Amino acid sequence: MIKVIQPGLQTTVQDHGRIGYYEVGMPPSGAMDKYSYTAANILVGNDENAAALEITYMGPVLEFHQDAVIALTGGEIPPKVNGQPVPMWETLAVKAGDQLSFDFVKQGARVYLAVAGGIDVPLIMDSRSTYTLCGIGGLDGRPLQAGDELKIGYEVKHQVKIGTRIQDELIPTFSKTNEIRVVVGLCSYRLTEESKERFFSIDWTVTPEANRVGYRFKGERLNFVEREQPFGAGSNPSNVVDLGYPIGSIQVPDGVEPIALLNDAVTGGGYATICTIISTDLNKMAQIKTNEKVRFVAVSIEEALQARKEYKDKVAQMKQQLQLS
Amino acid sequence: MTRYEYGGDEFIFVELSESMSLEANFQAMAITKQLREEKLPGILDICPSNASYMVRFKPEDIHPDKLISKLKELEQSVSVDDFNISSRVVDVPILFDDPWTNEALMRFRDRHQDPTSTDLEYAARINGFDSKEELIKAITDYPYLVSMIGFVPGLPWCYQMVPREQQIEVPKYVRPRTYTPERAFGFGGAFAVIYPVQGAGGYQLFGIAAAPIYQKEQRLYDFKDSITFPRQGDIFRYRSITMEEFQSIEKQVEDGTFRYLTRDITFKPQEVLENPKAFSDEVLGGLYA
Amino acid sequence: MPSTKSQVLSPIPGVFYRKPAPDKEVFIKEGDAVKSGDVIGLVEVMKNFYEIKAETDGVLESFLVNEEDILDAGQEIAVISVQ
Repeated sequence: MIKVIQPGLQTTVQDHGRIGYYEVGMPPSGAMDKYSYTAANILVGNDENAAALEITYMGPVLEFHQDAVIALTGGEIPPKVNGQPVPMWETLAVKAGDQLSFDFVKQGARVYLAVAGGIDVPLIMDSRSTYTLCGIGGLDGRPLQAGDELKIGYEVKHQVKIGTRIQDELIPTFSKTNEIRVVVGLCSYRLTEESKERFFSIDWTVTPEANRVGYRFKGERLNFVEREQPFGAGSNPSNVVDLGYPIGSIQVPDGVEPIALLNDAVTGGGYATICTIISTDLNKMAQIKTNEKVRFVAVSIEEALQARKEYKDKVAQMKQQLQLS
Repeated sequence: MTRYEYGGDEFIFVELSESMSLEANFQAMAITKQLREEKLPGILDICPSNASYMVRFKPEDIHPDKLISKLKELEQSVSVDDFNISSRVVDVPILFDDPWTNEALMRFRDRHQDPTSTDLEYAARINGFDSKEELIKAITDYPYLVSMIGFVPGLPWCYQMVPREQQIEVPKYVRPRTYTPERAFGFGGAFAVIYPVQGAGGYQLFGIAAAPIYQKEQRLYDFKDSITFPRQGDIFRYRSITMEEFQSIEKQVEDGTFRYLTRDITFKPQEVLENPKAFSDEVLGGLYA
Repeated sequence: MPSTKSQVLSPIPGVFYRKPAPDKEVFIKEGDAVKSGDVIGLVEVMKNFYEIKAETDGVLESFLVNEEDILDAGQEIAVISVQ
């Protein structure tokens, strides 16, 4: 069992996500940076879908009540065991009574803590992921609170030697200015050519409204092509007849402040969507903080599929490396 | 012209029509039903929506361009004429002009088109009704097709089965509210909705549903198989109720004895499109028989 | 009397507030005495309000950021002079 002494700013139980219920309006939830989440599970020998903790901006203080094998990956929120710094991206052993805490965030936004065996919470619609908006999944459908007790499960697939490390070239680096690749499409026909061009040529600043639901950006106003609004769409030029929103899609309500919809987002609504963040870059998006800059880059579907393939190769490489060690 | 669009590397979005119509919705329903039956490998989600639909897929199993070709084929081959919808007619009790949504909407008057009247008064006026009572009558006289599910789990977009000239249409709030009570009955564009959970929202607020449409504990009979109640293709009849009936239903919900009044139905889109009035009379007659 | 300066940093990015609510007084004014553990401001991010506390006794010499500024993680908020 792991006891929560302090919860951190927003620490939730997440796994690979709740897949296959989009049709009823259920967003996937799940780890926002899948790459780091997957690495953490691999480092402790877990099933790849085992539940881990997603830590945002500020780390919790956790007390282990049993010996455990853990790994911390993701952004750099420097971890300490009993006050002593410990490395990230490495298989660690902790003893019953040890306390895990964190320094201030240095880089990135989210850290994943995997425990050999996984965090044991009930499966809701095939997933352990927390979806706070509807209060389901994870621990009682909410972020961790002081005094919570987390059970450790049995989803270990194999033993990993303590001290095993992910190769440096497979560890992502973080920056305060980021390029995020998108595929243009959906209702992009609604934006004027000039606004489409501006969208890709300015630096957008991440506002404080940046969470698991979505990220809102400040930059400049975008304009929509003038038209008589179609029946049922609503009167604002950014309105369309309510439709489905892909995960990672970007909309611009009223032309001000684009919003990228992420893991806990609404699954549909009445705003024109203009492009979609490619799946691999959602991981990168998850590590971007409030007040940092984003430049959107348009790519073709083939480039998006190539990026996806490279991502899968990296994960395969990670696994292969660990089996050799 | 139908638009086939990439939604990144995992979604295809198909916009059948820019404007809402029963025809477009039936077409989305017919295509997605056929797609579901074909059980293609790599399809993760099939999401019909109002005048469009969306498919989530694994590009490792099916290339997006191949999927688009398939969907274009379906657009050609699937006909709404020989398509049967099997669903439910449901009696959905609503307390209009209730104290809870009134309290919520008064808090956000500065975000509304008309800060000096309530959402009901405003909607009645811009739709040419003499009073809010007349608007409520128009909303409750004819049933709605559940044309899309989404936003949050279980939220039904409902489109009234009446000719275009009889449709009620209202704008969304100028700026969305940060609060909407659970079970609020709202209207935006040409759609009626019930908010399953408390949260933000931009639809005009007219009332509150007496019974839940989302129940994560799954205590009621209607939730034994799913935490969400509405299904796309259902026919909802919104019925205006008194505070007494509202309280009595709330009590039944609390006791776990509440069940929606429903009737199973199989119908053809043509029946609705050709004579909505006759169709409405028939389904409502069957529901309350 | 020699004094040392102690910085107060924001552990998280977000919007900085010196008041507990828009219609309330500031938590602390420049020049006021401060005790370790006293709240000197709030940082709002992801709809959470995080209390920024002094970690030492002394005098709050100055604020380095303004009301409703957007802070980076690790940004210096105020300086406390320690007697």
